[in-house]
Amino acid sequence: MASHSESIIREPLITGKDITYGQITDDILRPVENMPSKAWWIGFTVASLGALLWVFSISYTFWYGIGSWGLNKTVGWAWDITGFVWWVGIGHAGTLISAVLLLFRQNWRNSINRSAEAMTIFAVICAATYIGAHMGRPWMAVYSLPLPNQYGSLWVNFNSPLIWDVFAISTYFSVSLVFWYTGLLPDMASIRDRATGLRRRIYSVASFGWTGSVKTWQRFETVSLILAGLSTPLVLSVHTIVSMDFATSLEPGWHTTIFPPYFVAGAIFSGFAMVQTLLLVTRKVLGLENYITMFHIESMNKIILVTGSVVGVAYITEFFIAYYSGGEYEQYTFLNRFIGPYWWAACMMYGCNVLMTQMMWSKKVRTNIPISWVLSIIVNIGMWFERFVIIVVSLHRDYIPSSWAMFYPTWIDVGVFVGSIGIFFTMFLLFIRVMPSVAIAEVKLLLKSASEQAKKKQIAEGHLDPSHVEFYKANLIKFDSVDQSEYEKA
Amino acid sequence: MDSKKKYWKGLEELNRTPEFVEKNKNEFAEPIPIEDVLSGDGLSAKTPRRDFLKALGFGVGAVTLAACQRVPVHKSIPYLIKPEEVTPGVANYYSSSYEGQAILVKTREGRPIKVEGNPNDLFSKGGLSAQAQASVLDLYDVNRLKDPKLKGSEAGWSEIDAFVIKELAAIKAAGKNIRLVTSSINSPSTLAVIAEFIKQYPTAKHVTYDAVSYTGIIQANQNSFGKAVIPHYNFDKADVIVSFGADFLGTWISGEEFTRQYVSNRNNKSLESKKMSRHIQFESGMSLTGTNADNRLAIKPSEEGIAIINLYNAISGTTLPGSKKLSSKAAENAITIAAKELVAAKGKALVVAGSNDVATQVLVNAINSLLGSYGTTIDLDNPSKQYAGNDAEFVEFVNELSRGDVAGVLFLNVNPAYDYFKAKEFTDALAKARLKVSFADHDDETALLSNVIAPNHHYLESWGDANAVEGYYTVIQPTINPVYNTRQAEHSLLVWAENPVKDYYTFVRNTWNESLLAKGGLSGQKGWETLLQTGMIKATPNTAGTYTFNRDLNAVAQTILTHSASIAAGDGKFELQVYQSPAIGDGKRANNPWLQELPDPVSKVTWDNFVAVSVADIKKLKLSEGDVVKVTANGYTVSLPVLAQPGQAQGTISIAVGYGRTNAGPVGDNVGKNAFPFYSFRNGTFQTTATVTAFEVTSIKAPLAQTQTHHSYEGRSVIREAKFTEYKKNPAVHSGNEKGHKNYDEESLWDVPSHDRPVYDWVMAIDLNACTGCGACVVACNAENNIPVVGKDEVRRRREMHWIRIDRYYSYEEKGESITEEYEIDKLKDDAFDNVTVVHQPMLCQHCDHAPCETVCPVLATVHSSEGLNQMAYNRCVGTRYCANNCPYKVRRFNWFNYWNDSRFDNYLNNEHTQLVLNPDVVTRFRGVMEKCSMCVQRIQAGKLKAKIEKRPLKDGEIKMACQQTCSANAIVFGNRNDPNSEVSKALKSERTYYVLEELNVQPGIGYQVKVRNAVELEA
Repeated sequence: MASHSESIIREPLITGKDITYGQITDDILRPVENMPSKAWWIGFTVASLGALLWVFSISYTFWYGIGSWGLNKTVGWAWDITGFVWWVGIGHAGTLISAVLLLFRQNWRNSINRSAEAMTIFAVICAATYIGAHMGRPWMAVYSLPLPNQYGSLWVNFNSPLIWDVFAISTYFSVSLVFWYTGLLPDMASIRDRATGLRRRIYSVASFGWTGSVKTWQRFETVSLILAGLSTPLVLSVHTIVSMDFATSLEPGWHTTIFPPYFVAGAIFSGFAMVQTLLLVTRKVLGLENYITMFHIESMNKIILVTGSVVGVAYITEFFIAYYSGGEYEQYTFLNRFIGPYWWAACMMYGCNVLMTQMMWSKKVRTNIPISWVLSIIVNIGMWFERFVIIVVSLHRDYIPSSWAMFYPTWIDVGVFVGSIGIFFTMFLLFIRVMPSVAIAEVKLLLKSASEQAKKKQIAEGHLDPSHVEFYKANLIKFDSVDQSEYEKA
Repeated sequence: MDSKKKYWKGLEELNRTPEFVEKNKNEFAEPIPIEDVLSGDGLSAKTPRRDFLKALGFGVGAVTLAACQRVPVHKSIPYLIKPEEVTPGVANYYSSSYEGQAILVKTREGRPIKVEGNPNDLFSKGGLSAQAQASVLDLYDVNRLKDPKLKGSEAGWSEIDAFVIKELAAIKAAGKNIRLVTSSINSPSTLAVIAEFIKQYPTAKHVTYDAVSYTGIIQANQNSFGKAVIPHYNFDKADVIVSFGADFLGTWISGEEFTRQYVSNRNNKSLESKKMSRHIQFESGMSLTGTNADNRLAIKPSEEGIAIINLYNAISGTTLPGSKKLSSKAAENAITIAAKELVAAKGKALVVAGSNDVATQVLVNAINSLLGSYGTTIDLDNPSKQYAGNDAEFVEFVNELSRGDVAGVLFLNVNPAYDYFKAKEFTDALAKARLKVSFADHDDETALLSNVIAPNHHYLESWGDANAVEGYYTVIQPTINPVYNTRQAEHSLLVWAENPVKDYYTFVRNTWNESLLAKGGLSGQKGWETLLQTGMIKATPNTAGTYTFNRDLNAVAQTILTHSASIAAGDGKFELQVYQSPAIGDGKRANNPWLQELPDPVSKVTWDNFVAVSVADIKKLKLSEGDVVKVTANGYTVSLPVLAQPGQAQGTISIAVGYGRTNAGPVGDNVGKNAFPFYSFRNGTFQTTATVTAFEVTSIKAPLAQTQTHHSYEGRSVIREAKFTEYKKNPAVHSGNEKGHKNYDEESLWDVPSHDRPVYDWVMAIDLNACTGCGACVVACNAENNIPVVGKDEVRRRREMHWIRIDRYYSYEEKGESITEEYEIDKLKDDAFDNVTVVHQPMLCQHCDHAPCETVCPVLATVHSSEGLNQMAYNRCVGTRYCANNCPYKVRRFNWFNYWNDSRFDNYLNNEHTQLVLNPDVVTRFRGVMEKCSMCVQRIQAGKLKAKIEKRPLKDGEIKMACQQTCSANAIVFGNRNDPNSEVSKALKSERTYYVLEELNVQPGIGYQVKVRNAVELEA
């Protein structure tokens, strides 16, 4: 792909001195090929405790019924669908990074796409658990599939957005899984080649007999492109369809045509925030600073800023339309977000998603790792509240005032949600232990064109404008989180 | 003898045509390829034996495997000899009566499953109260006594009889007194049994004691007119009704009857003839009746007497000594206006008071006499016999007990250990009696103190009769064999009286044969059988005479004023009024979960009583709802949560009786607190008002289980109301139909496919002006549709399962404007909360033709029928709850738990016995599925089938919804919209008809009719 020499005035995508192909493999496979660090063990213990909480809460729900949640006759969905939409949204960044950015030849994606895609898979799994768990009779979930049956013409209701959801989510999950695993094949082969014994046999199977021949690589590239093409519409369609769960209903606060773009923007927004949350920790713990650089962090912050602002505009539009429509019930619903009993939830939503992210206009904020990390968490909290406000705050006071009610979560509600985060991190931590968390093969492509060595070679060849070289050096300092003193010694 | 006859099979044989002869040679008309088969390899092939063995092996194996599966064993035992009248799947109806009201009992396969009103009933013509509807569940109460008890342990009836007879004989010999304490009895046979008993034991005396007593009225009529009766009121003949604290649509004397009468002057029919009665209510707590009044004035209990005196003054033009003005100017003004209205409607006016004070009732009699009410709106010659309690007699009985004069006491349908205001004094005194017999069917508070418990039958197991109103006789016939080893109280009394007739059935027959049958023009066995079918006899009523009050009122006024002064509380203090809630009443049915979960019509609170405090006082004391307060009055203290009650008079609090039972059974025990001890005994009657001596706010919180927590309708067109003056000018006023009914389909973006309703289009019309909000429909629906009871905690979580609910909204009148929005209400001044108006709106599945629930169900579990019904396929439902979210009316109910088989919901159906109350025509729902009003689809189906079997078209009104059937106000009309002459089509054509949220174009199938108020302008 990027076989040409990259211009020196581009910011470096890989930093670190004297990076070689071998070193990349060593660096990235370090957590896979060695015993886990203490930090990993701590993280894994906490995450698996969370997963156990999930198992318990879900079992409790299945045993006693949905009544163990805080739902009532007025608020029929709350933490369940909030959690579902939140997780589906988070997944979106992975697909955007792996598919859309690939098509747009954004090479910087190569360092982060693997983790982001893994995150997608795990987030969609978490979302899918909610689809099953929120059903009153999950053992009858098969009814929601259009399967031939003995009832003759009894089919699913193709008018129902929930059926669209079934198709959307299952398509999304399968395509994402295939895309992710296809990308993993050369890296699995790398592990296989370096492993012995049982590990070798396992990775041998897992790499599908990857040979590394030119033909294999060529096919790999082609498949990646095709899958990227398939995934790109999914980035838009999945959350569009999720938004239709609300938009096609009659509920004031749900029945809004702006929902599809608004939801997609929100999904990418929250997804990038989650990637940021994960990678800022991962790069430190796994020592991947050379591959996930300040450039990546800032780029992602920029996307968060843009999508956050899009979401903000959507919020304002919603309010305007509610006012402009003259719809009595819709006006009340939006007013109720601020003057109703859940005013604090709306404050969390608008505050976290719009006000806080506006801080990212400042480059200092964008390039500050601790602040970025905190902001990414804030965005995720805000996006959770966005869904909570849309779902619960709309439902709790709709048309008939006699039915207005409050929703109070039970500890099972909390357990299922916190537990799903536990499940997510358990899977993610297991993932970084058994699979390369950065796409080795793709990062190596960058090395050839965008690494310091490549740039040094260009400088040595001496055809460059000295001001460009200065710019490059400045960028090295700016984006390089690696100790600059190492460079001084060189 | 040889027969010459010749038999032939066809003309061919007769004629012996050649073809026939040729054909007839062969045995078979056509050749059979037997040779082919035998010559082929059919038998000689090599494999048949193996194939046979294989087939055999497979067959045996398959059958064995199939037989291995364990099939659930259903214990259904067929009738060995089928009773003639029982056909499985077909209901039988028996006429009977409930508290003197004629009813029909629906039985299926020999078990009563529902009580329905008898359409010929004198009181409500087919309507039934919530309590009557719920009474069938008591039959299946597993906590009923299963055997009689002697000295606390189970015994046989012969031991009981031997013991009681020995004791009674000993008491009789010693010349000691025997007292038979009962609640009001109007049954001619029971009274005859008691007379027989007293004849046998001459020291015995019958004491009538009602926990909620009407002695005041009885005494007042004795004093005024020499007739110790409760008159029969005719609210239907009254154009102007003024009530002082009488909850006549709810708990006062005969609520169902009065509802029917009252509504007849306010319903669609009456409005269309431009006629509507005016109802002005003066009361301290907000009662069901108060919510329906055109004008309602909040006054303190201590001012009620003064208000009546002032009304008397205004009507008579005299001034009774000691008269003074009311503290509230609005109320004073209202009295003047009420007086004018009443006088103008002379002969068509009625004044009633809920007080049990004799003097107050005497004064009310005087007013009614001035208004010419006797003979028109009040009938003293066909009096009501529903209540006959004599408070003074009971107090005297307790005195006798404590003096040790009474040696034997028998309690029938009374529970003074719980509901007598000095329960301690009573229980201490009771210990002095040597024989204490209770006929209670539960181990209730009084039964526990008795040495003999001779459990009575449930009324559905009994023979009997009733005479609730002069000339109106109803019969009680059993609908099931006694479930437990109980015995009818009358039977026990006959046995103990050593009467020659020991069988109560024979006794009842004798009573009727001797005197009662003749009153209905019946006689003999045939007459009796006719009676059992019709259930009642209506003798020709006496002519209602006019009565004139001519006694001196000065002393009466003095008594009233003294009484008022004695309960008047100073500034910052509270006056207490004790009242009955329509659901629980006096607490006798406290163990009935349907009633406990029936929301109070005004407060919408279930499973609790509470201290109702005015909104202004709540603000003043900085209380919030659910804060527990300690209230002390008459030396008794209770701790109960507070409720902010709009319309409660400032400076007053109200607490309901009937709660705080300690031995009602697992459902009723310790629900709320007992308020009976707040009673006092004054001037010969029990008084329900008192001064609160201490009102202490605690830090405890006990959130109330309310089914509705938002009480204003926010100015939404969900509720539409009009003034009667406006209505008279334009019947469509405020209905949204001023310019004809709008068709929202025309504005639709889509080509709307037309849905064929080839034969039926089932719809409903609900008249908001007829509905009083009593809630009987809720219980009727519970019984008909097997709706689970979820308990207090789940109601708190807003998960009650009722398919029909009554939404109750408060709005406030300020300067002629109706204030309905929350933020405006928050800004109201304290006094404005007194000017509350209330509207009740029954809300159930609207069976929308464009149902929002149907489009969103992923699995097509809720679909539309070709008869316009929105139907649920429970088996298909996976429980996503999307339909409930998308229902604008929020009428869908989700089975959060498996209410039928979950030990945490033990107050209801978790036993095989109580499950027998279930309607077999309606499936019970498993957890995780959605349910909602089905428009009693089982009744529609049954009605259609019946018409089909009888080969005739369905008649309008033949199918009745359970809610409609029990509604004494006839507020609900159900029927076929395709039939332009049906009752419902006519009702929907009314100009007042509007559809809730019709602007959404969901095309609801239930039309509501605008609420009309006939209020007088009090400011003027």
